This record gives sequence, C-alpha cells and structure tokens, in this order.
Amino acid sequence: MPAETDRRPPPEIVCEGLSKTFGRGGRQIEALRPLSLRFAAGRTTALLGPSGCGKSTLLRLVAGLEVPSSGSVRIGDETPAEVRARAGLAVAFQEASLLPWRTVSGNLGLALTLARRQADPAAVQRLLSLVGLDGFESRRPAELSGGMRQRAAIARCLLTEPDLLLLDEPFGSVDEQTRLRLNLDLPRLWEARGTTTLLVTHSVSEAVLLADRIVVLSPRPGQVVADIAVPLPRPRSAALLRSAAFRDLADEVSAVLADAAPGRPLAAE
Amino acid sequence: MTAVALGATGAPVGGRWLGFALALALWEIAARVLAGSYLLAGPVDVVVHLWQNAGLMGRALAVTAREAALGFVLGNLAAVLLAVVAVTVPRTERLVSALALVIFCLPLVATGPILRVLYGPGEGPQVTLAALAVYYTTFVPLMVGLRAVPPVWFDLVRSYGRGRWAALVQVRVPAALPYLAAGLQIAAPAAFLGAMVGEFTGAERGMGVLAIQAMRSLDVTATWALATVAAGVSVAAYAVIGQLARALRMAPPPLILAPPPPPRRGSVLRRVALWLGGAVLIWTVVLAVWWGAMALFGLNDFFAKRPGDVWEFLIVGQDALANRAVLGAALAETLAFAVPGYLAGLALGAGLAMALVLVPGMAAGVMPVAIALRSVPIITTAPLIVLALGRGPLGSVSIVAVMIFFPTLVACLSGMRQTPGQVIDLFDSYSASRVQRLIHAQLPAMLPAFFAAARMAVPAALLAVTTAEWLATGRGIGALMAMTASTSAYDMLWSATAVLSLVAVAGYLCVGALEHAVLRRHAAEQVAEQA
Repeated sequence: MPAETDRRPPPEIVCEGLSKTFGRGGRQIEALRPLSLRFAAGRTTALLGPSGCGKSTLLRLVAGLEVPSSGSVRIGDETPAEVRARAGLAVAFQEASLLPWRTVSGNLGLALTLARRQADPAAVQRLLSLVGLDGFESRRPAELSGGMRQRAAIARCLLTEPDLLLLDEPFGSVDEQTRLRLNLDLPRLWEARGTTTLLVTHSVSEAVLLADRIVVLSPRPGQVVADIAVPLPRPRSAALLRSAAFRDLADEVSAVLADAAPGRPLAAE
Repeated sequence: MTAVALGATGAPVGGRWLGFALALALWEIAARVLAGSYLLAGPVDVVVHLWQNAGLMGRALAVTAREAALGFVLGNLAAVLLAVVAVTVPRTERLVSALALVIFCLPLVATGPILRVLYGPGEGPQVTLAALAVYYTTFVPLMVGLRAVPPVWFDLVRSYGRGRWAALVQVRVPAALPYLAAGLQIAAPAAFLGAMVGEFTGAERGMGVLAIQAMRSLDVTATWALATVAAGVSVAAYAVIGQLARALRMAPPPLILAPPPPPRRGSVLRRVALWLGGAVLIWTVVLAVWWGAMALFGLNDFFAKRPGDVWEFLIVGQDALANRAVLGAALAETLAFAVPGYLAGLALGAGLAMALVLVPGMAAGVMPVAIALRSVPIITTAPLIVLALGRGPLGSVSIVAVMIFFPTLVACLSGMRQTPGQVIDLFDSYSASRVQRLIHAQLPAMLPAFFAAARMAVPAALLAVTTAEWLATGRGIGALMAMTASTSAYDMLWSATAVLSLVAVAGYLCVGALEHAVLRRHAAEQVAEQA
C-alpha cells in the first residue's frame, strides 16, 4: 500500500444542475431531474429511494460512467474522468462483477492491473483476510457463496485505496443475515480512512446503519424529497440496531419514503 | 432430474461407447444387407483395406492433413482478425459481418477451379479452400463470445479509467476464449473437408485424389475407407481441441450461434433508407475487393474475370440473353434438388432431436454420436450415394439432406439443453407429460439454435448439391462449372460463381428474416436490442 503521505484528503463531491435523460427520438425516459447536491468529504451518504428512481444513475454520473444530459460533477478539484484515470475512485456494482475465469486473488489483482499499479500479493492477501476470505485465494467466483462474492468485490474496491468509494447496492443479492453481518463488518475497513462514500440502497435499515446522511429520492424522474442527517455514533454495532434512536430514525426515513412513493412497496426489487 | 455419472461431454460415460458400438454394428449389418449394391462397405472390409493400403493411405493423409492444418491456421487467423476489428471498431461491424458472409457464401466447388487457375499446380487451392471452409464457423461464435459480456464488466474497466483496449484484453478476449474453442472444434473437420474439395478440383496428391480415383473405378471399399479415415481424423481433431479447451478450464459456452442482429429503429422510410444504404455500401465494397484483388495481383484477365466481365457476360453483352438462359436453367435444376434436400435435412434433424428428448436418457446418449457424425465429411461419400440412388432427384436430394441433418440435430439437441432447469422443474411440479414439456418449454428453447443452424446450412446445402453435380450427376450448375472449368469458358465460370453466391446470400437473408419473425414471438429475449 502507498505510504500515508501520498494520500490525498478525501474529496468533496459537488453536483450542479445534474440531470439524465435516456433514449433518443421518440422514446425518452427522464431518469433524473436536474439536481444540485454536495456530498461532504470523508462522510458516507446513502441514496435511498424506490426501484428505478435514478439513484444508481446518480451514482454512475458521479463515477463518470454516464454522461450527464445537463449539469456537471466535480470530485474535489477534478472531473470524474480525471479521478478515474488515476484510479482515485472504485465502484462496487450491484451484480457480481467478478470475472469468472479469474481466481479470487486474481480478481483482486485485476484492480491493480487496471489501475496500472504493481502487483502486490501481500496487499491482496491482507485484504482477503480482512474480509474473511482466507483460504479462498485460488477459488473461482462460481465456487463462492453470494455473500463471499460481494466481500471479494468490496475487497477489490479497497485494494486501490480510493479517495471515493461508490457502492451500488453492494449487498442487494445476499440474504438478510449475511447482509447484516457485512453491514457491520465491512464499513470498518473504509471508515478508518475517512473515505468519501456514496451508498445506493433501497433498504432503510442499511441506509441508517451505514450513513452519516440519507438523501431520499422520489420515483422516476428522481428528485430529492428529503435530506436526513444520521447523528448516530460510530463505530456502529449490532446493539445499535436495537436502540430507540436507531428505530426512531428508521421510522422517520420509512415514512418519508412512503410519502415519496405512495402505494409502492419499499423494497420492490 | 436424475443424477447420472457424467462424462466430459455431459453424456453418460457408458452410453457414449455403447452408442459408438451400436453405430458400428448397424453399419456392418447394413453393409451385409446391401452387399452387391455398390453402396456400402462394412467396417470389417474397411479395416482390411486400410491395412493392405496403409502406405498409400498414410502418404495421402499426410498431404491432406498438412493442407487442412495450414488452411485451419490461416482461416482462423483471418476470423480472429475480422472479429477483433468488428468488435473494437463498432462502426465496421455490419460491413465486416456482411463481407464475411458473402465470402462464406462463395461456392467452394466453383472457387476450387478458379483458385486452381490462379494458383497453378500445387497446394494453394486446397489450403485456400480449407481456410475458406473454416473462417466463418470461427468468426460467428467469436463475435457472439466477444459480445457475450455483461455490461458491468465494462463498467468495472471504465471505473479505473481504462478504455477499449483494456476491455478487450482483460474482459472480451478471456470471455470469448470458450467460444473460440467451440468454433475451432467445428473448424477442424471443416478444414479437412475444404482441403478434400480442393483436391477434387485437380490436385496431384491427397485423400481427395484417391477418393476421385476410387469413385471412377467403382471401388466402394476404397471410398468408404477414405471416408472413414477422413471421419476419424476429423473426429480426433474435434476431440483433441475439446480436451485442450477443458484442460484450460474453459467450459463450453451455452450457445455458440449468433442471434440475428437487432431490428433498426425509427420510421419505415428511415429504416428502408438505412437498409438500402447499407446494402449499396456492402456490395460496393465486395465488388471493389474483387476488382482490387485481381488488379493487385496483376492477374491475366483471360482467366481472372473482373466484375465488369460478368456484367458484360450476363447483362449487357451480345450473348447475354443466351448466357442467362444457360445459367438460369442450370441454376433451376440445382435449386430443384437443393431446396427439397435442405428442407428435408432440417426437418429430419429437428424432428429426430424432438423425438429423442421424449425418450428418457436418449438425447444424452445420442448427442456425442451425433457430434462425431457431424464431423464426418459426408460429402466424400457423395459419389457413392449418387451411385446407389441414381442420378435423378433422389441421390442429390439425399446428399443435401444428409449434409444438413447432423449439424441441425446437434444444434437442436444443444438448444433444447438450454431449457432452464427451473422451467423443467415447473413442468415436473405439475406432472406435465414429456410432450407438453417438449411443446411448451423445450421447443421454444430450441428455436434460436435451430434457426442459426438453418442459416449456416444454406451455403452447406449448395456446397453439397454442387459437389454431387460436379462429381457424379453431371447436371445443374455444379456440372456447368465443371464443364466451363475444363473448356476454359471462364466468363461462364465466374458468372456462375457470382450468381450462386448471390443465391446463397439471398437464402441466408431469407432464413434470417424468417428467424426474426418467429423469434420475436417465441424467444423475444434473443432478439431484444442490447442497451
């Protein structure tokens, strides 16, 4: 891993009048109404909303994987493309993005290859230990459970020590029990570094558990309907889940979400 | 589904050998029943013949195998290059695919004599024909493989600021390798077939030369011995490549044949304009390549005809009307055999595949045998079939049908295997009958593979019928080409080649249009436009 001194301070993200419309000609879908948001440096922000509300689109715009229809994104004093070019961000995708023909450690190593950095087997091993995948280095993704694959994918994101971590429903496809464990364990890995983190989720409890702030989006086209601070202490533990503060906050967020999308189930995916 | 010990190809290990043993026994019995009919020599006679002529056979095999191997390498290299260009420069994809198709549709039987004239004596035509016979069957799966990549893998590459090249190296190429392996497997027998057809057109040495000699002397045993060797080599090459792929931990891809291209969007006028524009561009390029190649190599225009010569010969020249009449009559005769044979081969292949899945365990047992038989260069037995069934329609139609039958059977069986396990479970949970399961689940799953096989079978059908005409029946456009090649009537030879290629392309496009219409109803996900 690079020395402490190389590390940039975590960046603030500034979205100005950002919007996205998909499709050309007759069939246009407005995914995101123009919105302006700031995501504070070194904090975790959850983007919460019903299915198809444009929260993943917002995340992809921040990553520069989509070109905005209007507006702009700045990450610190750089554009998303500049940040990507120096591997300053990492995305955990909602589907398993592990390459099936590479082993677990090969998949982690891919991040270093793509970032044009030297192979670092020691760092790979250290991260695999941190996410509890000791002994699975030479397995292929198909031999792992869903939760293990997600842990490997997140370990890959952390390997390049990004300043900005973009999590697109990273725990969407794992069972509730595993999800809770990942929610409690994995954030420790980046909380300590103060990485700016954006988390897309449709789970209220996940948002409250992980984030410092929750931005609730309306159904398509996405607009900000609420901006809720989460003043719960860190590090967050399983005990917190049973606290009144947690439950009150979760209730409040659920109510906002229900108002934002009346008549729609909260987790429809 | 019941658990069975599965072999490498997914078939019960015992069943595979049982299947081969059964096929051998049937072959011997058939040979004895048909003894004296000049149709079939049994495995015992074949082995005896091979033993007695081991030296001659060995030398011929070495020649043909060398040509096939050279053609295999060159053809596949061309396929890989074309596919990489088409995928990395998306604008070129339609043009590259169309050019590849047109070249694939060149009738090997006519290309052979033309190449013979261009190259002179030697191995040139054989190697070129082998290359031509393989490159499309590699190009098509490779294109599927290079594209069969979840978008999220590209996002991953881009999220680290990397572009097309990194995506090609890290994602597309590894993802396409199993498809390449599957393509190479099919290419190995095709290369052997191509080399033999090349030898038919006037080589000095090789298996094809021996086959012609055996046919001329009505030596049934020698013909079957040659066909057996060709089949053995083809099956062995197929198996070795399969083993290599498995050794490299490459699982066979689910489906290696391409779904049709997505429909164009926009108004009818715009679509028609785009289509016409594309067609004009493609044909301009085809003609330019043809003309350019002739000019580049400075070929004598006595035998190396240009597009203008064909135009003159068929359209504007003095004798154009008469020329068209001769060519048209020959073409009509050929199509009268090719079309029924084509349809019969497809119907038999699909029909048998459907019948097999109705019998428990049967499909898995027959599959490896069918795969092996698909690699047999059926066409080498064409003279015999004609000999037995006569120069009339039956012989030619049978050759075409047999040529198409095995690839269709294999495609349909593997297509039906793609029926999702959960769908089968659903039918089982209602205790649905095998017929219901076939009609409602397996048949729709089979359709994409069936149509892909039907498209690829169009040029194969024309190859089969023209080869039969060339070697045996003396009718149709194949015989016309044989005659014009030997009488140096090169205008007619080139014109016949051009017209037959056009017919093949038209047939391919017709099947593609039908495929699109059917799949849109029955397998919508296959024709959905990619985001």
